[in-house]
Amino acid sequence: MPSLKSGLAVARLAAALVALARAGPLAGQSHDRDALVIVTGQQATMPIPTFMEGPANLTANADVADQLFLRLAEPPPDAMTTDERRFVPVLAKSWTRRDSLTLAFDLDPRARWHDGHPVTARDVVFTFERARNSEIAPKLAGLLRHVAAVTAEGDRRVVFRFDRVYAEQFYDATFNVSPIPSHLVPAGATVANPPKDFVANPVGDGPYRWVRSVPGQFIELAANPDFLLGAPRIKRLFFRTAAETDARINLLLSGEADAIDNISTPVANVERVAAIPDLRIVPLASPLLGYLLFNQRDRTDRSKPHPILSDPNVRRAIALAIDRYPIVRSVFGQYGEVPYGPASQALWIRHGAPKAAGADTAQARRLLVKSGWFDRDGDGIVERDGRPLELTLSFPLTSEVRKQIASQVQEQLRRIGIRIDLARLEGQVWIDRRTRGDFDIDFSSATQDPTPSGLTQSWSCHGGSNVAGYCDPVVDSLLDRAIAMRSGSGPLWQEILRRIEASQPAVFVYAPSFVYAVNRRFTKVVLRPESSWLLVREWSTR
Amino acid sequence: MGLTDFIRQLLAAVWRRPAGRVGLSTLGIVLIAALAAPPFLPDPAAQPDIVEQASLPPGAGHPFGTDQLSRDILARVAWGGRISLAVAGLAVVLSATIGAGVGLVAGYLGGLVDTALMRLVDAALAIPRLFILLLLLVVWERIPLPALILILGTTGWFGTSRLVRGEVLRLRHEPFVTGAEALGARRTRVMFRHLFPNTLGPLLVAATLGVGEVILLEAGLSFLGLGIQPPTPSWGGMILDAKPVLITAPWTGLFPGLAIVVTVLAVNLVGDALAGAVNPRES
Amino acid sequence: MASGTGVVHPVTRWLLRRAAQAGVTLVVVTVLLFFLMRLAPGDPLGQLGDERQYTQAQLAVLRHLYHTDQPLLRQLASWAMALLHGDLGSSFSEHRPVTALIAERLPATLQLGGTVLLVNFTLGLWLGAVQAVRRGGWIDRWLTTLSLAGFAMPSFWLGLMLAWLVGVKWRLLPPGGIANPLLGPDTPWWILATDRLAHLILPAATLVIVSIAITMRYQRRAMLEVLPLPYIVAARAKGLPESVVRRHHAWRNALFPVLTLVGLWLPILVTGSVFVEAVFAWPGLGSLAAEAIGRRDYPLLMGTGMLVSAMVIGGGLLTDVAYALLDPRVRWA
Repeated sequence: MPSLKSGLAVARLAAALVALARAGPLAGQSHDRDALVIVTGQQATMPIPTFMEGPANLTANADVADQLFLRLAEPPPDAMTTDERRFVPVLAKSWTRRDSLTLAFDLDPRARWHDGHPVTARDVVFTFERARNSEIAPKLAGLLRHVAAVTAEGDRRVVFRFDRVYAEQFYDATFNVSPIPSHLVPAGATVANPPKDFVANPVGDGPYRWVRSVPGQFIELAANPDFLLGAPRIKRLFFRTAAETDARINLLLSGEADAIDNISTPVANVERVAAIPDLRIVPLASPLLGYLLFNQRDRTDRSKPHPILSDPNVRRAIALAIDRYPIVRSVFGQYGEVPYGPASQALWIRHGAPKAAGADTAQARRLLVKSGWFDRDGDGIVERDGRPLELTLSFPLTSEVRKQIASQVQEQLRRIGIRIDLARLEGQVWIDRRTRGDFDIDFSSATQDPTPSGLTQSWSCHGGSNVAGYCDPVVDSLLDRAIAMRSGSGPLWQEILRRIEASQPAVFVYAPSFVYAVNRRFTKVVLRPESSWLLVREWSTR
Repeated sequence: MGLTDFIRQLLAAVWRRPAGRVGLSTLGIVLIAALAAPPFLPDPAAQPDIVEQASLPPGAGHPFGTDQLSRDILARVAWGGRISLAVAGLAVVLSATIGAGVGLVAGYLGGLVDTALMRLVDAALAIPRLFILLLLLVVWERIPLPALILILGTTGWFGTSRLVRGEVLRLRHEPFVTGAEALGARRTRVMFRHLFPNTLGPLLVAATLGVGEVILLEAGLSFLGLGIQPPTPSWGGMILDAKPVLITAPWTGLFPGLAIVVTVLAVNLVGDALAGAVNPRES
Repeated sequence: MASGTGVVHPVTRWLLRRAAQAGVTLVVVTVLLFFLMRLAPGDPLGQLGDERQYTQAQLAVLRHLYHTDQPLLRQLASWAMALLHGDLGSSFSEHRPVTALIAERLPATLQLGGTVLLVNFTLGLWLGAVQAVRRGGWIDRWLTTLSLAGFAMPSFWLGLMLAWLVGVKWRLLPPGGIANPLLGPDTPWWILATDRLAHLILPAATLVIVSIAITMRYQRRAMLEVLPLPYIVAARAKGLPESVVRRHHAWRNALFPVLTLVGLWLPILVTGSVFVEAVFAWPGLGSLAAEAIGRRDYPLLMGTGMLVSAMVIGGGLLTDVAYALLDPRVRWA
């Protein structure tokens, strides 16, 4: 039975299989120089504006939607969301400001849906009716709450009326939602009950039109030859899905994918990609912000202050004991910064902010002693009134970055006598506990909007995402003023950041860059932090 | 014959076989390393320098290199060995015992008892282990070590019971069983004195393969946050920590992985030799 | 105990009884699954990790749209009613019918699982028999060592190594995915087929390496126990050639534990190995189910959970039936 002969036969069979498998690609069918294959972590299953709610509220959906549908206007390259003169006309050819509460947009007459129908003001009005309806699109309705009315004047003019004066009226009108065809989408459809035909074959007015979606694998789009800003030079666009980080990187390194939308940590992965001569690294400011949020209310009874963390000395001590610069260096290499206040790299208000402070463990220990915490029994952990200083640090298991940093933080705080318990929670459990305020220190990671007014969510007294009970009325009034100002709000925002840093509601640990990679055969490559692949329509190939 | 005599006989029989010798000696080295080495090694939780000393390849000062948090890997493998081995060993003993018991009873007694037990096994196997563990998350944020062992042991016996039952079914009508019954032996005596030794073969194979499986399962539990809690090292946890750097810093996962492979191999060699010793028909 | 015409009836009766038990088990498991899932904390409708989370009012709207605000029993009832019409509901995260989703992913899983099973039960059984026949020799020892080394490796580690080595470093085969997206629907069939084969080799190899030890060891043990048995000896004494003895008698009885293995393997065939599917971006049911758990996609979880349970229970049933049919002694028990 077993012999060298049969063993060899098996080996020869295996080799034959591999050779057969390679025959196909060798026939030359599997490369296309005018195609761009982008590999991402999630598949877009609902890339249609006003349907991207609840479980469909994903970046993947937004990325594909941005290829299929056009906005009225796009933010300028430096992401200044407050200056409406610098926005770039896209679907709207021009606009006029009639008064401090009214904006009128004139649509480009060349704009057409992929099925040939012209894009009209009626489409825009229809879209905003859906978007402002909180029963259909709760998230969008919240974002558009200051839009009082959207009306059509004729076929090509749309008029927006706002309910108050504030700097980002234009941003609100143009950024959050792109118009969808009113003749193809039923008025009352929701994400829970979507129009099946339209979802299977979305019709938009953007630079790319829908070809097909193979579930769990990829989405194929084709260039729209009649696109109003000129047909894209890249004829076929693929969004290929691989949920696992390493699988994505392998696809990129082996040439099966041409671009990736963030080479995940560790930094050594970036080096691997950089070592491939065909690939170019493109760092990009990211809207991510990682911070350790202190719960200022008691975990079990929200009406009482937190027994340990309501003391600003303790919070300050913890902040001073954490050496943020080496942490960011070790996790992100050169592709990360230590933020000052809650400002990620993509937020324009961070320009001009001071450098974030380094560690000072001596001062940290002094602050603890000042509040009555010292080590009486020599076990290395400080106590007060017989209770040791023990805190739980909660974070979701899905985040490698936070997992690694949490261990570093645990060790660094051990050195000043604080025992940290790592609560590694499953994703949904973490969200649950966080929302209910059941945590001591929560390792949060925010994806910030391009607009700084998003800060009100977490840092104003009644913000919807303020789970920690942080409240500073001065910051609240500063926020109101800064948001309302039409221009020159820079110094106000600086003051807001300064005040938040001073009261130490959190330790702002990292503001990373995204590190994209694109095959060198693509030229004129422009990537945008607020929507990665928005400008693929302008790329070219050698 | 007493239990200690029985064990001594088994060990001697294992030692007689060359494969068994290799297995036993390797296992011995692993156990000694895990028990005696840790006090002489650096603190497995210390992170001396997370920028300059992270992810160092094996070299002077760090025979196994350092991980992404600049912790010494040799120290963590040694400390982790204690925990991983203890958990795996105890859990497998537990599940093998339950599985053998259930399989014997079901196979021998048959009828309603058999049906009920096997349907229970079916149902238990049908509920994905993941769901049970998720449910446990609701109750316990962190599982103390004894509870972890208990859970691993009580969720791992289903396949074994089916296997043992299969063996019992096959042997039930063999002369040595029917003979004993004819002589008026009590049912428990027939089960444990006559049938059980003959099921030791597949049982020991299942148990030895189970040790490796439990170590890997512990790694899976760590993934859900239910396993050994940091900064205490465990082999499974170390492999998972090494996941993002598998290609760029392979030593981080290589050494705990090797530790598992070597241990599992050794245990299996011992189990093999044991099975051969226990089942005379094989020699 | 009779033979001849009376044989069919007791067996059929027993079969029907077993099948009914299996059915009841399936129902109980399904209901348990339903409640277990909803007991676990976490809301499928909220947003993961975004700073701008939904307000309670907005969440209420979403819950109303997806009917998760109804009392549990009512949800169970409507789900069960829909099930009777063959409707497994609509996935929360994919916004399409669960039946369609499962049907789309099942072929990928069956391809991978089927291939692995095939190789296991050909190569694995053959190697196990080889080990039994050449027991104690160097081939036996080496096969044991190698197969156990494979078994002890974590599947995602092995998968990553293979993907990197064969896919990235040597560029012999694609390191992930199930097909090349650039091949449009108008490509010739043989190119599509070889493309599929190329993508299948690495994940299948990974799964085979980590699992073949089980098949080999049980086959080896079973054959070893059977080879010297009295009726085998008798067959030899009758003058039958050794190969016939092995093939007909030893194999039959050696198949018992292996049959148990088949029963245990059936659910693996469906759920695949979640880790291998993740590492190779293989769009199978395993990764679908794993993602669904993380997202608390109840309809999808129920669908896949039921499928897995059905496979397990069915596997157990099959094994029992096979036992009964193969060993005359067992049947009469």
